Amino acid sequence: MPKVIRTLTFGAVALLSVSAVASETASHAQTRLLAAACANCHGTDGKLGGAIPAIAGRPASVLERQLLAFKQGQVPGATIMDRISRGYSDEELRQLAQHFSRITR
Amino acid sequence: MSLDRNFPRAATSRRELLKAIGAASLLTTVGGCSLFASGPSAGRVVVIGGGFGGATAAKYLKLGNPNLDVTLVEPKKQFHTCPFSNLHLAGELPMSAIAHGYDELRTQFNVRVIHAQADDVDPVTHTVRLNNGSTLKYDKLVLSPGIEIRWNALEGYDQAAAQLAPHAWQAGDQTVLLRRQLEAMEDGGVFILSAPGNPFRCPPGPYERASLIAHYFAKHKPRSKVLILDAKDNFSKQGLFTQGWKELYGERIEWVGLSGDGKVARVDATKREVFTDFGTRHKAAVLNVVPPQKAGFIADRAGVTDASGWVPVNPRTFESTQVKDIHVVGDATVAAPMPKSGFSANTQAKVAAAAIVAELEGRPTPEPYFVNTCYSLLSPDYGISVAAVYRVKDGKLIAVKESDGVSSPKAGRDTRRLEADYTRGWYAAISQDIWGSKA
Repeated sequence: MPKVIRTLTFGAVALLSVSAVASETASHAQTRLLAAACANCHGTDGKLGGAIPAIAGRPASVLERQLLAFKQGQVPGATIMDRISRGYSDEELRQLAQHFSRITR
Repeated sequence: MSLDRNFPRAATSRRELLKAIGAASLLTTVGGCSLFASGPSAGRVVVIGGGFGGATAAKYLKLGNPNLDVTLVEPKKQFHTCPFSNLHLAGELPMSAIAHGYDELRTQFNVRVIHAQADDVDPVTHTVRLNNGSTLKYDKLVLSPGIEIRWNALEGYDQAAAQLAPHAWQAGDQTVLLRRQLEAMEDGGVFILSAPGNPFRCPPGPYERASLIAHYFAKHKPRSKVLILDAKDNFSKQGLFTQGWKELYGERIEWVGLSGDGKVARVDATKREVFTDFGTRHKAAVLNVVPPQKAGFIADRAGVTDASGWVPVNPRTFESTQVKDIHVVGDATVAAPMPKSGFSANTQAKVAAAAIVAELEGRPTPEPYFVNTCYSLLSPDYGISVAAVYRVKDGKLIAVKESDGVSSPKAGRDTRRLEADYTRGWYAAISQDIWGSKA
């Protein structure tokens, strides 16, 4: 029973700020859709490791630097990530780096 | 693993909010209501087809809003993928390695999975009729029906002919049949593959198949050959395939395009013979016909196909341009310049799922992003790729030019080997992303 009350209290508080949550959700949904395509090779939420490295939980700065290096053709022996990264703006690559850095592997 | 751990804080807080609202509504409901059952406000989504597009849509709908009531309709309990089925034909993988099930969707994502066939869709009453007698009501419908063979579009090629000269373009029994024929073939025979005109499922598929069967011949039937008779003059990654064939197989693979009289006009499956447009007869020891195709039949029933037999969609949401509240993804759609591939279907399904979640929550649909990579294996350790990022500009799907391209023709064998490793890595990852299984 105390758990239900806590949940209800949380629900009431959350409902009061529902518009703030809704806009956060919209921008978050946008980032998640941007990032969802990466799962095709890196697993859901970028967590799958193997021949293709996992990207979840790596520092944002490391991911961003690597993505920009791919985009600028500075990664020797790159296969497809040089092509894929050129499909995004630097800002989008930054968002992706931040998104995956926040996911615990 | 809890779902919440898959997402950073912002998503968690929204999920907590939805959960809290769900808990509150429980108090006003007479018992027997499971925590996972959604209130009428969250929305009912029915997904037809459990392949690359449909299974992805079901999972990402639940990831987007766990309170949605999502039902997946798929006749098969085990789905065999076309990607990597060419490795089975080459004797490199058992069928079990390309089989996937629906346990994760059912148990981890609370998707209701019904193994039945969808027989009809009524867009007016928003209902789907199944062959088990039941009817499902939807607020939003996702169709991922894949392809259907256009029987008799190629003279002499009907269902009976496919038992003698398999297409193996829908993985499963057909794949097993073609593999058995290849195994039983005497050394010294010719394997003929008849490739169709555009558009068709998996543009590089016929050429990967020819490569891997040549690999099998080189190892086990060294006097045998591969002949590709093509209804086109150009095909996907043509330069890389041609170069790799020469490097790996010398004269073993011969390709004859449209202008060289390569277009097959008639099939005699009993004699395993084909006749080209100009009447040239070719006799095969094993005959594989990749026939002309169209969208899977439920798309016709739903009224979403156009005169081409494929489904035009709004690229922002992959909603049908002809019927409201029906989203269609994957091979069935007109989505050029995206190819008809499992990878395309997966990213289209994520766009459709995000659009549906947003619409049912009364939010604007997010800006769509699509990616495709088609890997092809010329041998188990020789991989090539074509990749691009796609976006919507002025209402049209376009490839971002800078991203669009194939593997370097100058790359050495180390790179080809690396791309073969990445091909396997891709298959493991997309399988995990869709069905939760690492094949």
